[in-house]
Amino acid sequence: MLLRASGEQTDKTYDLNSVTSENLDSGVEHGDWLRKLTEATIRGDWLTVGEVRPQAEVEMGTQKVVDALTVASAFNGITRVADATGIPLDSTTAEATTEMRDTTGIQQFDYGAKTERYG
Amino acid sequence: MYPDHLPLRENLKEAHSAAWDAIAGPGDFLTGNARVDVIQTAREALTCAFCDKRKNALSPNAVTGEHETDSELDPVVVDMIHRIRTDPGRLTRSWFDEVTRVISKEEYVEIVAVVASSVIIDTLHNALGLGVPPAPLPRRGRPDGQSNPAAVDGGAWVPILAVNQEMADTGLPNVPNIARALGLVPNALNLFFGTFRPHYALKDIPLSISQAQAEFVAARVSAINECFY
Repeated sequence: MLLRASGEQTDKTYDLNSVTSENLDSGVEHGDWLRKLTEATIRGDWLTVGEVRPQAEVEMGTQKVVDALTVASAFNGITRVADATGIPLDSTTAEATTEMRDTTGIQQFDYGAKTERYG
Repeated sequence: MYPDHLPLRENLKEAHSAAWDAIAGPGDFLTGNARVDVIQTAREALTCAFCDKRKNALSPNAVTGEHETDSELDPVVVDMIHRIRTDPGRLTRSWFDEVTRVISKEEYVEIVAVVASSVIIDTLHNALGLGVPPAPLPRRGRPDGQSNPAAVDGGAWVPILAVNQEMADTGLPNVPNIARALGLVPNALNLFFGTFRPHYALKDIPLSISQAQAEFVAARVSAINECFY
């Protein structure tokens, strides 16, 4: 949801549906490389990460690749904190993103909905 | 923990070393031995056949079986750690209630902090092609049982840090709920955010990638892990 705020701050338009739809262009620079690196990393597909990383380094530079992996690894941890504590959205985020959560499919991850779905 | 040739920031490397050192010692509710066992248990979850079967089931409650584990932790704790590590997107309130019938909420929070911190460190190591670092050697000592009696019900499953909220220019409160989530056990909160903080910032991110690129990566991780927050 912070991607929306980034777009507002930079007057750029990002396709938020690209967060949950794998075939859409996000509008973020090097978005395809970021997506490949992130997906392989979070799925623990280290073979693919090892193949993609040097290619991405050619396109983006080593420092940016390392920094993208730095962010991905951090969120692989913090999503677990959120999911394991059932932490609610901040009220301002909840109010500002109701429609976006529906259109992107993020609403299906709501903790109450998960409890109904899985028990 | 990291070879010198990698372009990682010094504060990140120092934070990871500090986290490893902190996990090795006694926490507030777990011994150093137990905390290091939590790291190992989280790692073994990745090759646990039962976890794989459950991850692929339509519902996590649709399958039964036993975890592949060498852990000396309580089986309920082993299951908790394996689920947080391999299937975090399908944790539910009723599951949490079952777990906290066996362990206290304080123990639960401390375990979450250790798992999540080790996930960050292991993920970065693996992504950089380093393989996971050796687990730290546990140190002796007794947990001191320190929790935060001022933690409040903020709508989460656990009591969270009480704060006076003001709006920041990020459009979020100055202390977002996620930063309050582990507030029941201050040392757990400090462990996790000490590990996390050098990786990310809500604005003016101190990395070579733009804020939008960082948010895109973060959002993809959240989607893959089916995280609502």
